[in-house]
Amino acid sequence: MPQFNQSRRRFLKHSVVAGVSTYVASLASPSFAALFEQDILSPTAQAWRPGTGMKFRLDGIAKVTGSKVFARDIRARDMPHWPDTQAHAFIIRATRCDRRYQGIDLSALEAAGLAPDRVVTAEDMARDNIQVPEYYGPAFFLPAGETPLYLGYPVALCIYHDFARFAVAKARVRAAEDVVVYGEQTPLPEKPPYGAFRYIRVGGDTPYAPDRFSALQETVLYPDFRKRHPVWPQALENGKDSQRAMYHANQLAEQLDMPPDDWLVFEAEYQTPYIDHFAMEADNANCWFDAEAGDMHLVCGSQSPAELVERMAELHSASTFASGRLFLHPTYTVGYGSKDNSIFPYYGLIAGLYGDGHPVRLANDRYEQFQATMKRHPFTIRNRLAVERETGKFQIFKQNLTANGGGRANFSNSVAFVGATAAQGIYYMPNSDLTATAEFSRMPEAGSMRGYGTIQTMAATELMVDEIADHLDMDPFELRLANVFKSGMKNTQGAIPAGHLRGEEILHRARQHEIWTQRAARKQAFEADHPEQRYGVGFACVQKDFGHGAEGVFSEVRLNADGSIEVRNTGAEMGTGYSTSQAAVVAQWLGQPANTVHTAETEWDDLAMTSSGNPYVMSQSEQEAAQTDPRWTPMLQQASSASNSSYYLSFPTIEAARVIFRHGLWPVALEYWQRGIGGGQAAPYVVREQDARWEQGKLTANGMEPLSLAFLAERAHATGRVTGAMAHAFNRWEWSRADYRIDGTSENLPLDGLAVRYGDGASQQKKARMTSKRGFELLTRSNPYFPPTQRNNAGVTYYSACATLVELAVHTGTGEVSLLNHHSFLECGNTIVEELVSGQLQGGLAMGIGHALYEDMPLYEDGPGNGTWNINRYHVPRASEVAVWEQSADILPPLSRTDPPKGIAEVVMIPVVGAIGNGIAHAIGHHFHRLPITPERIREVL
Amino acid sequence: MSTTDPIVSKPLHVTVNGIEQPVEDIPEQLMMLDYLNEYRNLTGTRFGCGIGVCRACTVIVDHEDGRSEEIRTCITGAHYFEGKSIRTVEGHATRDENGDVAKLSEVQQQFLDHFSFQCSYCAPGFVNAATVLVERLQREPVPRSQLEATISDALESHLCRCTGYVRYFRAVRAAVLATPGTTVEG
Amino acid sequence: MAGYRQTLAALVLAVSTGTGWAASQATAKQIERGQYLARAADCAACHTAEGGTPYAGGRAIETPFGKVYGTNITPDDEYGIGNYSADDFYHVLTQGELPDGTQLYPAMPYTSYHDIAREDSDAMYAYFMSLDGVHVPSPQTDLAWPYSMRWTLNFWNWMYAPDDDAGQRRAADNQRGRYLVDTLGHCGQCHTPRGRLGALKRDRHLQGAVIAGWQAPSLEAEALAARGWDDASLREFMREGRSRQGSMYSEMYPVFHHSTRYLDEDDLKAMSRYLLGENPPAAAHVAQTTAVDDSPGRQLYLNSCAGCHGADGEGAPHVASAMTSNTALRLDSPRNLVKIIHDGIDARAFTGYERVQAMPGFGDALSDPEIAKLATYLRRRWGGQQSVVEADDVAELTGASD
Repeated sequence: MPQFNQSRRRFLKHSVVAGVSTYVASLASPSFAALFEQDILSPTAQAWRPGTGMKFRLDGIAKVTGSKVFARDIRARDMPHWPDTQAHAFIIRATRCDRRYQGIDLSALEAAGLAPDRVVTAEDMARDNIQVPEYYGPAFFLPAGETPLYLGYPVALCIYHDFARFAVAKARVRAAEDVVVYGEQTPLPEKPPYGAFRYIRVGGDTPYAPDRFSALQETVLYPDFRKRHPVWPQALENGKDSQRAMYHANQLAEQLDMPPDDWLVFEAEYQTPYIDHFAMEADNANCWFDAEAGDMHLVCGSQSPAELVERMAELHSASTFASGRLFLHPTYTVGYGSKDNSIFPYYGLIAGLYGDGHPVRLANDRYEQFQATMKRHPFTIRNRLAVERETGKFQIFKQNLTANGGGRANFSNSVAFVGATAAQGIYYMPNSDLTATAEFSRMPEAGSMRGYGTIQTMAATELMVDEIADHLDMDPFELRLANVFKSGMKNTQGAIPAGHLRGEEILHRARQHEIWTQRAARKQAFEADHPEQRYGVGFACVQKDFGHGAEGVFSEVRLNADGSIEVRNTGAEMGTGYSTSQAAVVAQWLGQPANTVHTAETEWDDLAMTSSGNPYVMSQSEQEAAQTDPRWTPMLQQASSASNSSYYLSFPTIEAARVIFRHGLWPVALEYWQRGIGGGQAAPYVVREQDARWEQGKLTANGMEPLSLAFLAERAHATGRVTGAMAHAFNRWEWSRADYRIDGTSENLPLDGLAVRYGDGASQQKKARMTSKRGFELLTRSNPYFPPTQRNNAGVTYYSACATLVELAVHTGTGEVSLLNHHSFLECGNTIVEELVSGQLQGGLAMGIGHALYEDMPLYEDGPGNGTWNINRYHVPRASEVAVWEQSADILPPLSRTDPPKGIAEVVMIPVVGAIGNGIAHAIGHHFHRLPITPERIREVL
Repeated sequence: MSTTDPIVSKPLHVTVNGIEQPVEDIPEQLMMLDYLNEYRNLTGTRFGCGIGVCRACTVIVDHEDGRSEEIRTCITGAHYFEGKSIRTVEGHATRDENGDVAKLSEVQQQFLDHFSFQCSYCAPGFVNAATVLVERLQREPVPRSQLEATISDALESHLCRCTGYVRYFRAVRAAVLATPGTTVEG
Repeated sequence: MAGYRQTLAALVLAVSTGTGWAASQATAKQIERGQYLARAADCAACHTAEGGTPYAGGRAIETPFGKVYGTNITPDDEYGIGNYSADDFYHVLTQGELPDGTQLYPAMPYTSYHDIAREDSDAMYAYFMSLDGVHVPSPQTDLAWPYSMRWTLNFWNWMYAPDDDAGQRRAADNQRGRYLVDTLGHCGQCHTPRGRLGALKRDRHLQGAVIAGWQAPSLEAEALAARGWDDASLREFMREGRSRQGSMYSEMYPVFHHSTRYLDEDDLKAMSRYLLGENPPAAAHVAQTTAVDDSPGRQLYLNSCAGCHGADGEGAPHVASAMTSNTALRLDSPRNLVKIIHDGIDARAFTGYERVQAMPGFGDALSDPEIAKLATYLRRRWGGQQSVVEADDVAELTGASD
């Protein structure tokens, strides 16, 4: 074991949770690089081209040369302070839910000399008091004598101290059918639903008039369950909010049941597929428990490192293992949601605890990944939509959806209600009644996955709209335009979405595109050339919220005297280019990108912030009482998911850079320009801060001499102005705000925590105030404003829009669908790095194509929970299936240079689903309600 | 209880990225991927599916006659490579004396310039497949008009979940066109 | 590579007369039954191009006599059978003669179809007439002289047609099984050996044959049992395309894909009973021996096969067939095994969610002596076949398919 050099241990202590000190250092961060000498990110200077932006991803050189960037790549010997011998572990899982689990029989392994060095079961958990965090649901390991709640329930973990025996033993256990021993037959497991939500809205006379009833104004309904059936409140016209809600719901139902003659009431049930993330890096963790020192070390990829730090420390603290410190090394990874609040790293932790001093690597193979990781929820969606025949105007939208959440709840409740609240798509619904239920089942758990309920509901809406257009004999664009949601209208929760909504603009653009205008002629020509195929064009357009509804983000920006910039932020790199874009976002205020970026940072002691309560469900009075503490915020850190990185996670970074600009760079620039007699070069002009521009890396304003950042940084430091800022921001569909006194000037900022650093030449008086551990002056906010808790009922208010036109051909004999071409329109505000945005679009399209045409699995005994699934049976789209050479896209120009960058990682995958379904309807005249639309299903209707 | 060792090992001689690897006893049933990852700590060659479908584990075998060939290391035993010479993703760029990247290969540079990969888990397989393609086209050029179809054929079986393939394919086209002698008119 | 199924396609020139017959005269029930029978008769395997519209023809078929094409048998007036009457259809099906008197090449198994009941023919006709006509021509045949001379076929028919009734012995009270296996399924067209001019040897009914380089194994009860088959596994194999004995490969895959997977369980039982008899012989248990694990084939197996099929030959459910129960290892001849190792198997879809990835061919990666050692090892280790496969055998068996 290499000598561990304490003086070089520059891990940053995160906090003390339940008596366990926690430390976090991502493998890419300098604090770890000091030990590891591993540098994933290239110097920014190589990658930055002034005026045009990033030439390549900062992590690109490491990634394209096969460097160690994933947790999967890390072995014990890569960790300088770990022992070199790497132990390996695998999990044995039960694959039947109809029998009692009796125990495991490893006698065949023992006979072959392959007995594990350590077997961990529920008995060890009980003896050592290792408890599953409440969020993750039932126990880590199934105790003998119980029936598995779901397929693939872990029953034991086997640890081997060498790889060779591990590999052979794992293969044998996989092939053996008698390792897991079952007893008597028992009924299949049943549980009440995880939750249900109902959003009822009755609009006013116009979309802009006050609502008669809405979730935002009054309430969301949460039913009780009796025998697994929801019990709703009694309907009373003048009762409590919940009773009034039911009154309105009943009124709407009556109208749907007995509609006026000039209404069409469309009804259909949509079913969505059971989808695996197929993140190519399967879940894994490498963990070393140093019993002597009481230190736990864990390397793993996570979208939510802050969550791990907190819950793992709690788990440790409650256990009988004497552990004082927890070191977490989050790595670059890929997840699409699967590494957000995942239970997997906890099994890695357990493996480490029982490693007998060896670092233990627990790494899923692909069968295990299909069996154990969370999936996209299969939805059953019953839609009713009343439409005025003459105008095509939507009247009443009623939706009842169930989301199959599998055996552990994970985020099932949230996925279900986010799905329902997004169901309206780009349309204004004057009246709506949306019910979402998340259900337990014995299938492997479903959890957060790119699309998060909305790919299910919005794709269904887009399929429905085209079918209604057919019923009305109306052009689908006309129908869409008649109902398109306009800025200032209210969504189905009664909230007014932020900013200008550009769905209508996209509709007008798409309608002019040649794929649409030429479709009749192209259909005729194509079918003449291909007598066995039918040509079709389909369109769909959606707008998708981004963000969680509660976002807490920390960020730090530092400007050094030599002009170099450092950024530290809470977000994780999952392949989206986050680290690259974080470097880039500061350029709008500082003229060049950050030279170093540290991601997945979870230690922010300098700001001394505290949190209490649940930001989603706290009452207004609870919030008002709490916010009197100037260090309090409703949420410290949110995970990297829900397309939140480009907008939310960048937000405090940009604000911190702005503070440095306004209180560091601008004053020294102005001083320089005003040097000399009579106000210097600035005197003849009016020089205003709002006219400041960075051009070719230099600052100018109103014709002033361009000044380089290095020049300004040196002066800002010399004069002791603000050169660093650390900020916390909170968002609940709007940002919290407060007043701060910065270097003598008062400012109202969209931040709820702020600390600043002054330059090297600052006065002793100023320096004396820079007392935080990183040398910042912690400012104390005044007049804080927090978004009212009622805004939780809004569901969502931040939207980006995307539309896709698809050209396809259906083979009438085989039912095969060929995607000939597609064109997308994306509205995303100001892009940070355009190549990263279009890359997200192209990747999202492929994932949407899989959802529409290829990807599906059985849910239960024949499905992935049985441990035999791999990608020979699960079809992930290939290059030939995505129109790889033909596809194209328009990224809409921003309204202005001040548009915020919007989150788009999810919205881009959704319209292609509806467009494919609608294209197939155009080709063969059948509107499918069930996805994926497989050749078998097409052959059935032909 | 039997105590015969379930693992039978024997020496393996293999050259990786031009370097003869230290000869050690390697289990006869070990897959090449595990040899690279666990015995050589070369982890750029990645486990994706374990059944030879996704091709994240692809490496290049260099034959004595100058041909290069893709091979899937997750389903090919380490001892298949006895006496053979392979290239992994770690071996394409030229490196300075410290082992730092001095110059990327043409394929790697194009992938970088095109923002081809996102998470990059599949990138090693694409680097190797594209390199084999470029080298094949140097021996057997194709008409320019057939280049896109040739790329599609060569890379079709490689899976990527992040990118939708577009930036990979465009980068490979650029790499081919930047390499003299790979295409002919037509 | 050529397959044995491919030697058997019909060639129907687009010459037709007849009265026409509206599909609307048929009942839905008749059409449905016709579809079932057309599947049982596996018309699609020859009359459907890979990835093409069912029954629109176009499949290229290599025969010892030259190349013929499955024809368009959709009801297109110009290119298909749109102008056939039910009488015409019955006549073509059972006599191999077009309405204009043109004789079909015997790749059309009319010698098997000879016994198709008239009502079944009418149902199939109703079904075909209910399809959309596909307006695509069948490619022209390309046969070597003298086989391009159709008059030679009359001579052939005089010698060998109609089909024998050798199956009668096995049928006992199971005429349904016989009808499905011998008449509709025309299994004998591949599994019964042929004489020099291509006619079936009646006295060796279903005893196995070599066609286009592949062995169509014996379907006699004792031979099936010796290779490990029983009633349940035979039915599973036909229904799912896979069983513990292996998966349908080469030219049996289209048989599964177009035909056997659609058969109902009663019919599968009847076929199984017909093949295995009323009192099926017990499926043989083949002793597995690790005694050969020190042979050079063992390391070749670990190098190139074990990644999917398992170090102990256990296979992986839904992914790779087990060696331990594999029927191809138990055949007397190493022919099919060697060809599979050499050429690989294409990716295939089976029933429901079942899909199997391609098995790579090792013709380039392994030398003939290596393939011979590997095949010898596999057959000894799991197949109970002790003979040594020689490199020359490999060269001979695989030369034809290069």
